[in-house]
Amino acid sequence: MVEKDILKKIVFLKDLPDPILEKINAIAQFETFDEENILFYQNQEQTLLYMLVSGKVFLNSRSVSGKSLTLDEVLPGRTFGVSALLGESSSTFTAVCAETSSIITIPGEQMRQLFEKDFEIGHTLMLKVVEIFRSRMKMHTRQFLHSLATHPEIR
Amino acid sequence: MVKIEDLKRINLLRDFPDHLLKIIASEAQLSIFGTDTQLITANEKADKFFMLIMGQVAIKAELTPGIDVILDNIQSGSSFGTSALIKGSTATYTAICQEPSEVITLSGPRMKQLFKENHELAFHMMFGVAKQYKKKMDIRAQMIMKTLDENPELKEDIKDIENLTLVI
Repeated sequence: MVEKDILKKIVFLKDLPDPILEKINAIAQFETFDEENILFYQNQEQTLLYMLVSGKVFLNSRSVSGKSLTLDEVLPGRTFGVSALLGESSSTFTAVCAETSSIITIPGEQMRQLFEKDFEIGHTLMLKVVEIFRSRMKMHTRQFLHSLATHPEIR
Repeated sequence: MVKIEDLKRINLLRDFPDHLLKIIASEAQLSIFGTDTQLITANEKADKFFMLIMGQVAIKAELTPGIDVILDNIQSGSSFGTSALIKGSTATYTAICQEPSEVITLSGPRMKQLFKENHELAFHMMFGVAKQYKKKMDIRAQMIMKTLDENPELKEDIKDIENLTLVI
């Protein structure tokens, strides 16, 4: 269980009505992880959704040749580990605590069960996910096209 | 009206329960479009959601006047035109049939109305669409990782890579 005020600090859960937050609260855990603690590995089965309350987490990816690259620094208020929410088999990245971090964890399976019991919650949250993903894809495509359009061979 | 068997050929609908497929079947239309038919026009209001049964559809964007870039080639079983299912969205790309194509269409406004009345349907559709987006973004992230692996000097020029990590 997590205090409701802490849940409200999470962007993904922001604006949700109290009764919904209470249901999410019932399946949430609050944990503190030390610096360098690895939360999950790339290509490993991922079962938990993570919501960062304080601290910092790096999302790293290892290429085929073995080079590791930090793709993102997750800051408080953000949610990661969406593979677990979507019932995907494995994670795309490795998540490692860059400093001591307080994190809300929610089992993806239980979150999906909650959605199946209350489709309105499921719809509200999945619509949020879709809108965020869509705007990211759009932005990414725009930047890709801009890079191509300004490429010397095309100009 | 389309057959439920046809809907089951669509990846997005693969795990849908039959009672939801029946609703979709009664709302859907099956059409055959000729080569070069433009199904979606970039920057125009998106009001149809498409599911490809057979054929091939190119997803294009204009690079410069006179030059188009094909961003994706949609194959049988895939769907496109998600913007039609989201409130107030305009199309971000143009979709053109590359060959004669058998396509199931759903009306965006009608589906949005149904989503208000049937949260189970709404949840399953959004869940499927989110998975579809994630798959595409994972592919992009892998492509970028491969490119950076071969050309590490490019990292300094990439400013949006964190967008592909799907932090929300």
